[in-house]
Amino acid sequence: MKPIIEIKKLTKDYGEGRGVFDVDLTIYRGETFGFVGTNGSGKTTTIRNIMGFLQPTSGAVYVNGKEARSHSSEIVRNIGYVPGEIAFPDLSTGTEFLRSQAEFLHTSDMSYAEYLIEKLQLDPRAPLKRMSKGMKQKTAIVAALMANPSILILDEPTTGLDPLMRDAFLEIVREEHDKGTTIFMSSHMFGELETTCDRVALIRNGYIIDVVSMQDITHRKEKEYKIEFSTENDYIRFKQLDYTVVRDQPQYHQATVSVTSEQIEKLLRDLTNYNIKFISEVTYNLERHFKTILNQKKENETYVR
Amino acid sequence: MFGKSLFKQSCKANGTMWIIITVAVCFMLSCVMLIAGNGDLGDTKVVIEDAIVEGELTAQTQGRAIEYYSLTDETLRFFDSRFQSEFAAFSQENDMQKAIATAYTKALFAVKNEYYPLLLSHMGYASQSVQAQELMGIVFYSLNPPETDANGIPTGKNQFDDFFDYGTLGIAPPDYTVYLSDILNNPQHAERRQKYAMTQASIFLAGNMIKEENVTLILNELSQYHITPEKFHDFGFDDFSFIRRLSENTVVNYRANFAYRWEHKQEDETEESIKQNLTAELACGLLSALPDTVSDALKEIGAADLYGTLVGSIFFKMAGLLLPIIYMIMTANALIAGQVDSGSMAYILATGTKRKEVAFTQAMYLIGSLLAMFLCTTLTSVICFAIVDVNTKLTYGKLLLINVGAFFVLFAMSGICFLASCVFNRSKHSMASGGGLNMFFLVATMLGLFGSPVLPSIIRMKALNTFNYVTIISLFDVVSILEGTLTYLWKWGILVAIGIICYVAGSVRFAKKDLPL
Repeated sequence: MKPIIEIKKLTKDYGEGRGVFDVDLTIYRGETFGFVGTNGSGKTTTIRNIMGFLQPTSGAVYVNGKEARSHSSEIVRNIGYVPGEIAFPDLSTGTEFLRSQAEFLHTSDMSYAEYLIEKLQLDPRAPLKRMSKGMKQKTAIVAALMANPSILILDEPTTGLDPLMRDAFLEIVREEHDKGTTIFMSSHMFGELETTCDRVALIRNGYIIDVVSMQDITHRKEKEYKIEFSTENDYIRFKQLDYTVVRDQPQYHQATVSVTSEQIEKLLRDLTNYNIKFISEVTYNLERHFKTILNQKKENETYVR
Repeated sequence: MFGKSLFKQSCKANGTMWIIITVAVCFMLSCVMLIAGNGDLGDTKVVIEDAIVEGELTAQTQGRAIEYYSLTDETLRFFDSRFQSEFAAFSQENDMQKAIATAYTKALFAVKNEYYPLLLSHMGYASQSVQAQELMGIVFYSLNPPETDANGIPTGKNQFDDFFDYGTLGIAPPDYTVYLSDILNNPQHAERRQKYAMTQASIFLAGNMIKEENVTLILNELSQYHITPEKFHDFGFDDFSFIRRLSENTVVNYRANFAYRWEHKQEDETEESIKQNLTAELACGLLSALPDTVSDALKEIGAADLYGTLVGSIFFKMAGLLLPIIYMIMTANALIAGQVDSGSMAYILATGTKRKEVAFTQAMYLIGSLLAMFLCTTLTSVICFAIVDVNTKLTYGKLLLINVGAFFVLFAMSGICFLASCVFNRSKHSMASGGGLNMFFLVATMLGLFGSPVLPSIIRMKALNTFNYVTIISLFDVVSILEGTLTYLWKWGILVAIGIICYVAGSVRFAKKDLPL
């Protein structure tokens, strides 16, 4: 796989512990890369460095092999960018803005833009000043995507969209992914990254904590099941069996067990001997994954201290 | 270097404001130029000017009245003594009438051949000059000698019988017969002589002054002070009885004062010195009666080019700059800092536009829009100047230079704002520094105007002139343009240099700095 965006030992220090530090990331061609972190953790700073808007304190970002800051105007031609904070130029309507953007991009083909407008149910004729946050977001998305860039950089693109529109948008992202577009998308919502991204990086306080492939999350060997028993007796009897109980809630007669895929058959057979109210799989998702990692980190830090 | 799409976008974004401001500035300019050009610009100036002129006229008339009176009186005194001695010589052998007639002729002859030539040489006039003619009139008017034709044969009339249009004036020609008998019979004749001299001198003065050719002469002289025949008529200097009364009053004053002073004279005073002092006091003009500074100030107001000052220094350096400066501050901010602050600059940069191109294009837009604005004011001012008809130093060429100067000021100021807009990422910081500095310049100019020499010294506050040294608007030298000197050129050079340096520095800074987009 060919790397498209290479972030090498990137540090942008704003002082007082703010900024990003020693960020190392490589995004490959055709990949959808998620970037998750709390507010102020350095997502936007990283993105601004990729766009070449900032001069790194140390380290560098390469896009298509070119250093981002010094070749900003060249690299951004291949990038569709949705900024985190949407503010449009001082023009009257959405249509005017999109037309002006098309002029900047030297494209005259508006067919893809029209397809996107329809898909997002956007009325671009509305005055820019009177647009709601969601409408602005949609307009920004159309503006970023309409020239069919080979790289998409989306800074929290779903904020302000209602759930239906979010789904429509994520579908567009998936379509872009299928076309082979490289997508770099930040968010603070794990759910939407889970369904769209190939890999996700977690950033906290300017440091990359972990980069995880969604493959590893969704196709984990170990699964967890939550079981509630009809009677206390059954519950106590079950606990005497040799399973790893990860969560125990005696007041509800509930137990959550962790089993490998080979053990599942045995578990189901064992359960036939008990009266159970329900059994459900506790999905292991991104959120849980990162929480676990963060907790480990915290424990380590406490330990070190 | 130049981004067409960006330029178009800037035009769309700031065009409305440009139109509103330009229309407002042109409207204001045409109001100032038309109203000031057609209305009563500086009533006070006109009144002061009129008062000065009237005062000077009165003073001149009074001075002449005293001069005429003195000359007449002196002549009469000489005549009297000759008449008396001649009469004494003839009265024994002839009858009374004949003796008087002979004595009159003899005395008159003496005046003509002895007194007048002496007086003429004493005054230093050439014998055929206008002054000599006038002097002859003064000397002989009261005596009204008999007229002779070209061959020296008496015509039976007297020389001054038709000198004035006595019918319209409502007086009689000078009649010396009564006077002659008075010389012989009245012991208090000296008193009578002075009165006779006063009356005849005043009539001669008034009659002369209202003669049409003399009125035209005076009006020509006064036209440079904007005195119309109507005003002159209001002053009363074409009215016989007014001038006569003025003259007689002056002489009465003069005589009374002289008598008093002669009686109480100081040791070092002579008759001559008292007379000189009195004449100076009675016939002094309005201006010479005032302290020098005040009279200078009044003269200055009288001579001030109010229209040029109003259009050049007050409009194009202050009032007319305010709105373009507001436009410039807002636009300079909106072109760079505003878009960085809001984040909309991201859409421009994310399309592959180079930062240098952005800075260059936005600078071009700012300069271009200001240039267009001042093209509009130039057009407006030229049209207005063609409509109005005022007395001013302003010409079309100077008007053009003033507009160019105003543009250069705005160019330099916009450079400062552009630099601030490029340096700061926050609108408020860019506005506060660039805009604040430029507003300071404008306010300093306003305060400085009250201390600058363009204002008449009477309302000038000298201390405020300091403000003229802290504002770059002072480099727009309207006074130099109006007066036609070339000092304004190097000051323009500085303005242009400031502008270029700021624009270049701003562009370089913008290309290098971190952008929070």
